Parts: sequence; C-alpha cells; structure tokens
Amino acid sequence: MISNDSLEVRGLTRTFGELTAVDDVSFTVPPGLLTGFVGGNGAGKTTTMRMIMGVLGPTAGEVRFGGAPLTLADRRTFGYMPEERGLYPKQPVLDQLVYLARLRGISAQVARAEVLDHLDRLGLAGRAKEHVEKLSLGNQQRVQIIAALMGSPRMLVLDEPFSGLDPTAVDGMVDLLAEHTARGVPVLFSSHQLDLVERLCERLVILKSGRVMADGAPAELQAGGTERHRLVVGGDAGWVRGVPGVHAVDVDGNVALLELVDDAAVQRLLASALERGTVQELTPVRPTLAQIYREVTA
Amino acid sequence: MTAPTHTDPHAGLDRAGRQPGGPGSAAPPNRAAWILVMNREIVVRALNKTFLIGLVVSVAIIAALAAFMAWQGSKTESFAVVVTGGDTTATAAVEAGEAIAVAQDTNAELTVLDVADADAARTALTDGDAEAWLHPADDPADGWVLTGQSDPDSTLTRLLTAGLQQEVLESNAAAAGTSVAELTAGSALTTDRVDGSAVDSQTLFFASFALALLFFIGALGSGQMIAGSVVEEKQSRLVEIMATAVPLRHLLAGKILGSSIVALAQNVVFAVVGLVALSFTPTAAILPSLSSSLVWFVLFFAVGFMGMAALYAVAGALASRTEDLQHTTTPMTMAIMGIYFLTFSASGTFATVLSYVPVANIVSMPVRVLSGDALWWEPVVSLLVLVAFTLVAVLVSERAYRGALLQTGGRIGWKRAFAAAS
Repeated sequence: MISNDSLEVRGLTRTFGELTAVDDVSFTVPPGLLTGFVGGNGAGKTTTMRMIMGVLGPTAGEVRFGGAPLTLADRRTFGYMPEERGLYPKQPVLDQLVYLARLRGISAQVARAEVLDHLDRLGLAGRAKEHVEKLSLGNQQRVQIIAALMGSPRMLVLDEPFSGLDPTAVDGMVDLLAEHTARGVPVLFSSHQLDLVERLCERLVILKSGRVMADGAPAELQAGGTERHRLVVGGDAGWVRGVPGVHAVDVDGNVALLELVDDAAVQRLLASALERGTVQELTPVRPTLAQIYREVTA
Repeated sequence: MTAPTHTDPHAGLDRAGRQPGGPGSAAPPNRAAWILVMNREIVVRALNKTFLIGLVVSVAIIAALAAFMAWQGSKTESFAVVVTGGDTTATAAVEAGEAIAVAQDTNAELTVLDVADADAARTALTDGDAEAWLHPADDPADGWVLTGQSDPDSTLTRLLTAGLQQEVLESNAAAAGTSVAELTAGSALTTDRVDGSAVDSQTLFFASFALALLFFIGALGSGQMIAGSVVEEKQSRLVEIMATAVPLRHLLAGKILGSSIVALAQNVVFAVVGLVALSFTPTAAILPSLSSSLVWFVLFFAVGFMGMAALYAVAGALASRTEDLQHTTTPMTMAIMGIYFLTFSASGTFATVLSYVPVANIVSMPVRVLSGDALWWEPVVSLLVLVAFTLVAVLVSERAYRGALLQTGGRIGWKRAFAAAS
C-alpha cells in the first residue's frame, strides 16, 4: 500500500524574546520524495523541525498532514531524529530500541524482530547486547536512525542524519531511506553538505535567517538561477567589458565568465568576438547547487 | 493519570498492509506507556551497580551493628577483687555486690581473691590477677578504698559501692539493735506507665535517629536518581523522541512510580533486616511497638516520597545538563537535610507540630507512635495531610515538568516552566 499524504508547513513562526528564529515559513514535503532542508547555522532548520514534531510550540502558523492539522496520534507514527545525538548510554542497544518502539505502541515481539533486522542491515548485528556508550559515534548514529525507522513510520523528520557518517554508511542509509520513500513516505532531512543534498534530493528548501529563500526541485532552482556563459577566444578577452548588455563576472586572459541580460546580448557578443578573431567556445554554464545556495542566501 | 483523548483521524487505517497495531498503522494511543516507563526505571535502577553495592553495604552495616549489640549484651565481665587477710567485711561486700549484679541483670561476675597482706594485694593487681583491691582507709573515719592498677572499672565500682553500703548498713543496724529491712520498710518505689509502652527514652532516641536516617538515605538517594534520569533524557534529546510517542505525563508518572517503588523496597529491606537483627539483641522486648511504628513509617514514606519524587523530577527537568543538577536540586536537598536533623532531635510540643507537617511527619509521626504519645487518630490525620501534600506536589510538578522538559538552553526557573506549559 502506498501512502500519499504530504506534510504542509504553513506560516510557521517562532520567536524567542526579541529574536525571530523562524519567520513565516511555508513549504510542502510531498509523499515519496526526499526533501532536503538546507541552511547555515542558526538558519532555523532545527527550530522548524522541532515545531513540526510538536516538541516546540509555534508562535504562529500550523503544520498539516494529509490535509488535516497534525495531531499527537499522527506524530506517534512519525520517525524523528533530533539534532543532538544521544540514547541511554548505559543500556544495551537492543533493549533501548525495543523500549522506544514499545512506547510507540508496537508490540515487544514485532519491535524485537524489526530492531534485529535493522541492526543486521546496518552492520550492527553483533552489537545488539552492547551498551550504546561502547559504540563509535558513527555506530551510535546508526542506532539512532534505527530508532526513527521503527514501525514503518508515515513521515520521517531527520535532523542532520548524515553528519559524521563515512561514504559507505551514507550509501547504506540512503538505501534504507529509499525503501521508505518507495512506500510513499514523505522524508524531510536537514543537512549542510550541499553536494550530498544535490545528489539525493528530489526537492529542496533553502532557509536563511528563519525565512524560506528557495523551494523546489534542484533542476527548477538551477533553471531559475542567473544563467552565465563561458567565452573562450583566440586573443585577450578584456574587450568584453565594453559590450552593452554583458556583465563580466570574471576575465582571465582569453577566458571570460559572463552574465548576459538577454538573447540579443548573446548575438552582439558573438558578433564582436568574431570581428576580433576566433571563438573557441561559448557555452551556457549551469550553476551548481552550491552557487544557487550562495546566491539565494547572499 | 488520564490518557490523551484526541481522536486519531488515521486510526484503523493500515497503510503498510500489516496487522493492526503492528508497524505501519497509526497506532492507537499507548495507554500503558507509563507502565513501560515505570518498568524501565525499576529495572535500570535495580541493576545499577552503585545502587546494589550501597544496598549490600547498608544491610551489612545494620547486621554488623546488631551483631555487635548482641555480643555486647551477652558477654559477662569477670572481676576478681582482692581482700587481705580474710577481711570479713570486704568479703561480704564483694559477695553482696555479686548478688546485686545478679538481681539487676548486670553482666558482671564478682569473685574474692584472698591474699596475705597489702604487698601481695599490690602484686596481684600488677600481675593482672585481680582488677581491684578493697581495703579499709588508713583512717577508719574515711571508710573504704578501692585500689586498681589504674582507675577501677565503673561497673565494678558501682556494684562494690552498693555492696559495701549494704554490708556496712547491716552491721550498723545490728549494732543499733535493728535491721536494714526494718529501717527501709515501706520506702520502696516502683515505676509504672499508663500507655504500657516498654520503650525508654534512650531507645526512643535511637529509633528516631534510625527512622530519620532511613528517610534521609531513601529520599535523597532515590530523589537524586529520578532527577538524574530526567536530565539524562533531556540532555540526550531522548525526551524529544519520547514526547512525540507518548504524553509527557505518562513519562512523569512512570518515573515517579518506578523510583518510589525502588525507594520503598529499599526501606522495607532495611526495616526488615533491622527488625530481624534486633530480635537477636537484648532490646528485643521493644520489637512489637517498634514494628507497628515501622509499618506507619513505610506507609508515610510511600505516600510522601511520591510527592518528593515529583518535585525531584521537576528539578531534573529544570536543568539542561547533568552539571546543573547540583543547583536545581539544592532546595530539595536542603529540605531533606533540615528534616533529618529536626526530626531526630525534636521533642515536646515541637515534635508534636512536626508530626503534622508534610514530609517531616514521615519520621515524626512514627516516632510519636513508638513513644506511645500519639492517640490512635493522630497518625491517620497526619497521613491525610501528607496525601494532600503529595497530590498538590504531583499536580504542580506535572505542569512544571511539561513546561521545562522540552526547553533547551541553560537552567530554567519555575516561573518560565509554568508559563511554557500551556
């Protein structure tokens, strides 16, 4: 069975005294997609996620799931991984994962089977009886993500799930998350590793100072970003600065990176270049996600 | 403790196509969550090494103390008393002293060691053959002298003083043509008490000290434990995961009940070990009255500790990190220490007042029951006062706990915690 509920964040605002940490934030996490939540330190990602999970009360705004306001009963079926990592340090891995699952109303037997299955898949099968504090940080992180994935959650809210993981562990985690998106589960995860987000996400929300700066599929965002052209000519390219409708971002010998106001400017540039000699290359340059991010958060 | 009453719009839907209640369905509210939390608190605490070692050491101390008292009570001291040249008065005095020791149930045995002269007497003392030498003073008007190698034993001195006095009285009376019995006829004084309690003031003090100590160890130890377990979950953000799964009051209820059960079990163990140990000592006579007092204590402690546990849970929630605990638990620690010192040293009207003041009455009322001072209805009324205190403490704590638990960033005050819990 495939779920098709989306999570909608509407006008979510949170102030702490004078500070507005989250300012009228609205976005949608569609079913079956990985949505990346990107922003610098203090952009309001964690605050937003805590409000989604009901851990923090919003000053204004609401969160809806499947078209209705989110309830505690809904949240009980969500998987949540909070910002700071930590479990009971002195309790065995298996025991505490089963305990957390049972709090969510999963029977002890089902919880146990599911925990053992997940431990096995994340390469922790032999560590079930070990105390959490004995595990490496990366392995503690895996245990933590298992806690969020118990009981086939209907929505996943993961705060920096990939931080501190090696590339192999990231791939394992991505495979695991893909199983959940295949079930139609909306997944919202925050990260500051833009390359990773670019590779994984079908959807992206960029936050800065508590406001949404951009929201959409990476391709859409890239299309919407300022398009640039790269020009390589036979001689020195310094003359491009004089062409109307052309803004030279960077000129280095015979290579220039340019912003062009319209298509006419492209033609004017090409004509001028051919007048002066040979043209080796004139190509549009698609901005990387990192460039878009820098642009929208500048 | 009421379960949440939201209606779950997704209840009954089974999105993963599995058994309802199993993974994938929007699980109905977990009404038994507090039982899970309670069980975890008990198991984690009961398996905690520090706790177990503390318990074993305490039990060993109680047993050792009782064994020492029993040994102390049962051992008989023997005293050899030197008399010179078959001194009849001295010999009779020692025999009278021995008779008094038997009559008073004093664990002392007096024997006569007859030697030839003063030098032989001194040698007997120096060689350790005898404890003391009873002989007339140089001037007969000064009476008698008891000489020892060092200061003679106080029990021996007391018995010989009485024995000698009796002996001299007898002979003086005979010289005056009468007898001691005639002279002292009708002067006997015996004591009696209306309440029929067999507990003397020394035992009472010891018992109140023991109860105050039980209270102190139980309340402080288990209180710190609950505060620590709350801040552990808060610091690690585990509470954020749990808060999305169960109502916070379930967490609080589970913690209060779990730690109260552990604290109570600990006190019951101490009390039983103490009573059993006491039954082997000479003070076994007070066991019946002490037992009923202990039953009251356990009852009072069970009720009162729940209130204190709730307040300790708030102290844990007000902290952000384990290091903050020392600060946030200070008011509780001070209160418990104050109660500890006040209750075992209180007497008279002050003790009566304390026996109605919540939390202090956990110790004070059972002590008054033991002393036979309390009327039958007094512990009942006092217990009701304590129940009221616990109810208020739990209600107030529930709000402050909810308000403070999910707040991060430094220590939180009661006011902020209250305001945050809407």
